[in-house]
Amino acid sequence: MRRNRGFLEISFAWLFAIIAGAVILVLAIFAATKIINIGQYSSAAQTQNQIAVLLNPLETSFEAGQVTSIGISAQTRIYNQCDDQSGTFGNQIIRTSQQSFGGWSTPTNGAAFQNKYIFSNNTMEGQQFYLFSKPFNFPFKVSDLIYMTSSLTYYCFVNPPSNIQDELSTLGEKNILLTDDMQKCPSKSLKICFPGENCDISVNLQGPQDIASQGTVSENGSTVTFYSDALMYGAIFSDNSTYECQLKRLMERESQLSSLYVAKVNTILQIGCKNSNLISDLTQLGSSSDSFRNSNSDINSQSSIITLINNIQSENSILGSGNSCKLW
Amino acid sequence: MQTLVINKRGQLKIQQMMIMLLAVTLFFVLAGMLVLVTQVSNLKASSTIIQSDNAKLLASKIADSAEFSCGASFGTVEMSSCIDADKVINLKNFIKEYGGGNFWGVQGLQIRKIYPDNSGIECTSSNFPNCDVITLIPINGTGVSNFVSLCGQYNVNGQIYSRCDLAKIIISYQGS
Repeated sequence: MRRNRGFLEISFAWLFAIIAGAVILVLAIFAATKIINIGQYSSAAQTQNQIAVLLNPLETSFEAGQVTSIGISAQTRIYNQCDDQSGTFGNQIIRTSQQSFGGWSTPTNGAAFQNKYIFSNNTMEGQQFYLFSKPFNFPFKVSDLIYMTSSLTYYCFVNPPSNIQDELSTLGEKNILLTDDMQKCPSKSLKICFPGENCDISVNLQGPQDIASQGTVSENGSTVTFYSDALMYGAIFSDNSTYECQLKRLMERESQLSSLYVAKVNTILQIGCKNSNLISDLTQLGSSSDSFRNSNSDINSQSSIITLINNIQSENSILGSGNSCKLW
Repeated sequence: MQTLVINKRGQLKIQQMMIMLLAVTLFFVLAGMLVLVTQVSNLKASSTIIQSDNAKLLASKIADSAEFSCGASFGTVEMSSCIDADKVINLKNFIKEYGGGNFWGVQGLQIRKIYPDNSGIECTSSNFPNCDVITLIPINGTGVSNFVSLCGQYNVNGQIYSRCDLAKIIISYQGS
């Protein structure tokens, strides 16, 4: 009888120590998990802001683009979010998430920029990311467009026109491949044809490749329209929703810049520059850009905007001939 | 009598254990707080470094932004780090649309001519080039700067000339 009672007997001191120890252990594990999560989040936030800083040197003043790459020590997901609703110019938002202990950290709150336009898929994954930029002139410089790709996604350009081939080969990005035969493309690569069948992305160029060149890019059954090489790359390297959103933001900036150039025309007229139709054409361009909805909205307005762009371009050249009255 | 002694011993042991547990808990709390403080201060330091890097890069590149750049207005080729004074003077009237500088991520933005000196006169479209400063957004704090060319068109005896002066673009940012 005594033995049986003794078998289950635990002193109060032991019981207290076990309970208190368990509570301390649970609290310690909880705190450690929280600290690890905060660490992961802060690391992802740091990466996000470092990416944001790296976007500044991609601003160019010349026709030639800038190339850079980002190497991150941990496997990273970059979320490219385009918002065309907030403010005058919308927002470019970048969020990141990093892999650790087999899981992904919570995506960061995001860094927002009003003056950046990143063309990429809305989610990219990898440790190495390639970026290049190209100025978008329509007909004056609107902004530098940034194209971002993951080193894990390969783009195989099949028989591109010579100017595009030269430009892409100069970039030296390892995930951009150029070939004259689709069979030579790696099996998992995205095949881009100019145009062609059985391709992932089909590019249809229309008319001469000048500042207001036009064409379409078809991917997954949907088609978007572009107006220059800079936008063509945008349509190739980004998904359709990102492309349309960034284009709308660009048109909002185009509209604002048109107003700025109208003000500049008024200034240079005061110092004796020749009058021209630039004020009315720029005003019209501004209102067309302001009412822009999407790249495929209205074929008639597309052709009229191209005519307007060409007129403004030639009027600016005439204004600049013989004296210093060019607008850009 | 014997039972009473055993109880007192037990109570003493519990008290000792509680003190020990409190000490251990306190140690972990303090150690945790130390880790947190170090992490937060590291985070703050890296945030300041990133902000400062961003401002320096921004100062060097903002001149090439479409609202500032000369393009090929003052020559046959596009010029880098060149600010079109006619555009920027007019930009003052549109600065609200640009969110008072939020568009470029700056809190203050000023272009100051270095030479010749015109006693700090604010530039307008009527007094350019006989002026010194174009203030788009007043500068708060120290800010960072970069050298640029400030170019504009002006009329001398019926002839239109382009003129470029050495200037500094100064930006202030959150935290500067």
